Amino acid sequence: MPGILVYIEADPGGVAPVSFEVLGAARTLAPHLGGPVEALVAAADPDTLAAALGAADSVLTVTDPSLTPYLPEAHRAALEEAIRVRQPSVVLIGGTSAGIDLAAGAATATSRPLVAYCTALRVAGQEMEAESQLYGGKLVATTRTAPPAIFSLVAGCFPEAPGHAPGTAPRIALPPPAALQRLRTRLVGTGAAAAGTVDITKAERIVSVGRGIGAPGDIDLARDLATALGAELGASRPVVDSGWLPKERQVGKSGMTVKPRLYVAVGISGAPEHLEGMRGAGVIVAINTDPGAPIFQVATYGSTCDFGDLLPALSARLTAAG
Amino acid sequence: MRIAVIMKQVPDLVEDVEVDARGTAIDRDGVRWTVNEFDGHALEQAMLLKEAVGAEVTVLAVAAAGIDQVLFAALARGADRAIVVPTPEGRTDAPRVAAALAPALTEIGADLVLTGVQAADDLHGQLGPILAASLGWPHVSVVCGAELHGSAVVVQQEYSGGRTAALEVDLPAVLGVQAAGRPPRYVPISRLRQVIASATIGSHAPAAVVPAPATTVTRLAAPAQESLARMLEGSADDVARQIVEALHEHGLVGV
Amino acid sequence: MAVPAILLLALVAAVLLWSGTRYWRVLRPLASAAPEHRSDHPGTRLRGVVTEVGGHTRLFEVPYSGTLHALIFGGFVVLLTALVEEAGRLVAPGFSLDAIGGSTWIALLQDVFEVAVLVGVCMAAYNRWARRPARFRGSNQRDAAVILALIFCEMVSLLLHDAFRIGQGGDAAAGWQPVASALARLIEVAGVHDAAAAPWAGAFFWAHVTALLVFLPYIATSKHLHIATAVPNLYFRNLGPRGALRPVDPGGPAVGVGEVDQLSWKQMLDLYACTECGRCQDACPAFAAGQPLSPKVLIMDVRNHLRDRGRSATRKAAGGAVPQLLGDVVRDETLWACTTCTACMEVCPLHIEHVPLIVDMRRRLVEEGRMEPPLQDALASLARHGNSFNRSERARSAWTRDLGFPVKDARTEPVDVLWFVGDYAAYDPRVQELTRGVARVLHRAGVDYGILYEAERNSGNDVRRVGEEGLFEQLARHNIETLGRCSFRRIMTADPHSLNALAQEYPGMGGRYPVLHYTQLLLELVERGALAPAPHPQVVTYHDPCYLGRYNQGYDAPRRLLERLGVTLHEMPRCREASFCCGAGGGRIWMDDSGQTERPSESRIREAVALGDAHRLVVACPKDMVMFTAAVQATGMAGRMEVVDVIELVEASLTPEEVAVAVA
Repeated sequence: MPGILVYIEADPGGVAPVSFEVLGAARTLAPHLGGPVEALVAAADPDTLAAALGAADSVLTVTDPSLTPYLPEAHRAALEEAIRVRQPSVVLIGGTSAGIDLAAGAATATSRPLVAYCTALRVAGQEMEAESQLYGGKLVATTRTAPPAIFSLVAGCFPEAPGHAPGTAPRIALPPPAALQRLRTRLVGTGAAAAGTVDITKAERIVSVGRGIGAPGDIDLARDLATALGAELGASRPVVDSGWLPKERQVGKSGMTVKPRLYVAVGISGAPEHLEGMRGAGVIVAINTDPGAPIFQVATYGSTCDFGDLLPALSARLTAAG
Repeated sequence: MRIAVIMKQVPDLVEDVEVDARGTAIDRDGVRWTVNEFDGHALEQAMLLKEAVGAEVTVLAVAAAGIDQVLFAALARGADRAIVVPTPEGRTDAPRVAAALAPALTEIGADLVLTGVQAADDLHGQLGPILAASLGWPHVSVVCGAELHGSAVVVQQEYSGGRTAALEVDLPAVLGVQAAGRPPRYVPISRLRQVIASATIGSHAPAAVVPAPATTVTRLAAPAQESLARMLEGSADDVARQIVEALHEHGLVGV
Repeated sequence: MAVPAILLLALVAAVLLWSGTRYWRVLRPLASAAPEHRSDHPGTRLRGVVTEVGGHTRLFEVPYSGTLHALIFGGFVVLLTALVEEAGRLVAPGFSLDAIGGSTWIALLQDVFEVAVLVGVCMAAYNRWARRPARFRGSNQRDAAVILALIFCEMVSLLLHDAFRIGQGGDAAAGWQPVASALARLIEVAGVHDAAAAPWAGAFFWAHVTALLVFLPYIATSKHLHIATAVPNLYFRNLGPRGALRPVDPGGPAVGVGEVDQLSWKQMLDLYACTECGRCQDACPAFAAGQPLSPKVLIMDVRNHLRDRGRSATRKAAGGAVPQLLGDVVRDETLWACTTCTACMEVCPLHIEHVPLIVDMRRRLVEEGRMEPPLQDALASLARHGNSFNRSERARSAWTRDLGFPVKDARTEPVDVLWFVGDYAAYDPRVQELTRGVARVLHRAGVDYGILYEAERNSGNDVRRVGEEGLFEQLARHNIETLGRCSFRRIMTADPHSLNALAQEYPGMGGRYPVLHYTQLLLELVERGALAPAPHPQVVTYHDPCYLGRYNQGYDAPRRLLERLGVTLHEMPRCREASFCCGAGGGRIWMDDSGQTERPSESRIREAVALGDAHRLVVACPKDMVMFTAAVQATGMAGRMEVVDVIELVEASLTPEEVAVAVA
């Protein structure tokens, strides 16, 4: 059957932003593919979430207490059931933690191919053509897949606007799958990011350090620059994993998504997971000795100068300028 | 308690990844291989669980050039057994690997399967969820810590913004590990050499033929260099000056 | 004697026996310790003992302490005669040394030195409790007090015994003992003389013997044990190159030292030779930076553990469990704080080998995977790529681009000088420009040189000092195999760490080459006329790199080169053997350096600035350039001190029109 099924992810604030992007992507593809755009909401109370999904042609709801808060096994069961019942030609999911949980498993269970890490998606005749980023963003794979198929989309690569539309789409209630009565996963606790002293998502300027910083002692150079700029200090995942900076300063897919007016990336290569967290920034200045680093593709200004020379020079100028 | 860890190699991203002559796949011979970082965390998590409850840890991998080094290193880290399984046509994408390893996993009698949450070449999806779906076991990915409690495992799943949830999963289960409870331990070269000299890697019969992926790669290339960045040239001082000027223009300093 | 002689003899015998068991308990572990071969070159060894013990060479580096020790030590030697006399008298009452001068010159010496020792003891007490030098912090002050008190008692009792003996009248030695005689006259004035003096003489004789009988068993568990262990420890000191560490015994029970029974007998002897003087602590850059490492305290802690761990008191204090050497007695951070600069070993009067002990314990930590993530990452990068920068081997020669001339590939062409570039010189952007400078200067001088391009690996020097023997061997073997396929006359390097590995460590693995530092080659070129630098007068100061200076005695070539450049060298107080480490060695550059009160590199910059007239700090090591440049920024001295490499001075002094003289 023609038609696009969009899995809608919920976070504590309601519909997750990435889902609007995925919905927007579906809306852009729909005219070329034919068939309706159906948004799947699996939750204890789907109505509140469904209200925001005016951009969909219809909203499929699966209602069950086990679906809120998010439980991987429950949501996979709901998604698989929706696919079996509605038989969409294309399924779109956002590439988040839930996306990893659900996409490949649902694809296997419903015997459909999955194309992951898509940064672009279009209809090409009878097939879907996708561009996926692999190898840390160093290579892009262009693929052709005959539907029915599933695609997981990289956040920040698709227009969000078409995903927002006023109005209400008709609801179609799907019966909760039997699997929800036999769940082998249970939620036993939740945690917010360690209550720290800083919320970098509110910062107007951020100076972020990556693995290229070399040694934790060199973070001081970035710290000085941050002071000179009145900026907050951020970090990529490897820096936080090594314990050089706390988790609350992590920018990226598994950290914070930030949209500051100024983002200075020092020694950050620009792996996709990091870009996801900051590509919406205003002015991006990237400093990396590797001229081929992917960060330069999203940056506004770039330099291959060694940060050991550049950062002090920059800090000095900014402090002198007042 | 039997734990299985599935590991694989990916191209070392320190180097440039070269594409082969046809332009649709990487040049496997020219590539420098390294163990998938997340698989390393999966192994470390398995070792932590072994130390906590005394489990038996078996490491599995599909046959590939240099995979022996990975398995010996895993044994040197404390794994009890290592098994290599060939795949048809040497394919290492996740659906093929899952199909190849499923029989071996059942034979080992694994209660818990750990593998890295993802790998740099997971075009067709990640191994963890695919394996879980084909085995019919529950699965959790982006796991940043795990503890065994009787016949269940309690894991920390991480979402964006640093949010986490603690989930209890009945065994048998599959976990996609992002980070172990602590960074992977170091294996001194001397111990690695000892293991290479004394240990053996087991093998398992290849699985039945598995259909090739329904997705065709038509092109594999470096991203179009629509490099938005205006590269600034000169000495550190020159570049610093240019940056400050640019920040002025954007109204970010000196306002 | 009032008390039956037999009883007294029995008492003395009992004390001697008991003392014997105490010494046995303390020294027994040496009998079953790991072996170490130190019986070569007896002549050289003996000469060293005579110079150090007789000449007090290292002790006089601190003149005040050297003097007081010479006085007390001299007294100890001389007053052995008194000991012999007393022991003899206990056994055979009429015993005396008169036959060899016991009443003449020996008596005089005894008299003089009894006073000399008292002067020494007073100097020592004044130093320890009034002046309170920092190096004594952490030392066992109670032990020091007991020792000085006992020595004081011994001297006083000896003098008074002599005085009362002379007071009895008719003493043959009286004329030879001015001080005792003067005391005797004082006593006479007080009314005690002739027969009345006899019991006092006897009393002080027994006071002296008692003091000795208290001292003897006490010494076994005191730092004063050094009177027995110092000479053997000096005799068995390391005569080999300091830069060659003892390899791991492949057939040995364990890698590295995890417990005191895995120490070698020489390492145990080191522990018992330590006098807690703290000169090593004063010299240590890690200690100065506020790190949890004092070489002195390390030796003391390990010694105390070796000596006392079996005792029930120790167990009780630790809550029932026997404390572990690694982790309980010595913390991991203590071992990792060491930069392996060997400033400690340079000043130790007992020639204790602190650094090899630290490396041995690090080997065990590595074996158990106990190291911080940054260090692990560096080792993983070294194992994978042969460099610590996590960069491809192919990028090793990236610095040669934009040189304007090709650099010969020593792998395929014979060269006169094979230039072993080193990691930092090849990969660190700050140092790459200096490396190009070296290439340009050598090119202008017409030197026939080549590099190993991608085949070069980290020399492994610091990997070995971190304790990763397996990785060191892997790197070294690779380099040695590569060098084995090349044709060259000698190897040159600008990196002192690589220099040390090539010159001192590789011979033990079958790689023996003539190796020189680039300052030596540059000096040679200047002296030969291949380079004609125009004098460029300026006042600079120079930092001796640890691995060039202390490890390889490379103090003079850089200085003569600077002289040839017409530059005025204003030496820092801590120069040559006393040079203060930049803090990067021993793998420290791969570790987290937060948590220091003042980085060694920053202390060094302040020292340079304090000279007043020198505005350039000249370095001859890539890591020094990296560390000191950062330190100049960190201390805010950017306008007052510039860090320049020797090659920059050389290149600046070569005029563009200079015609290169081809080297024959």
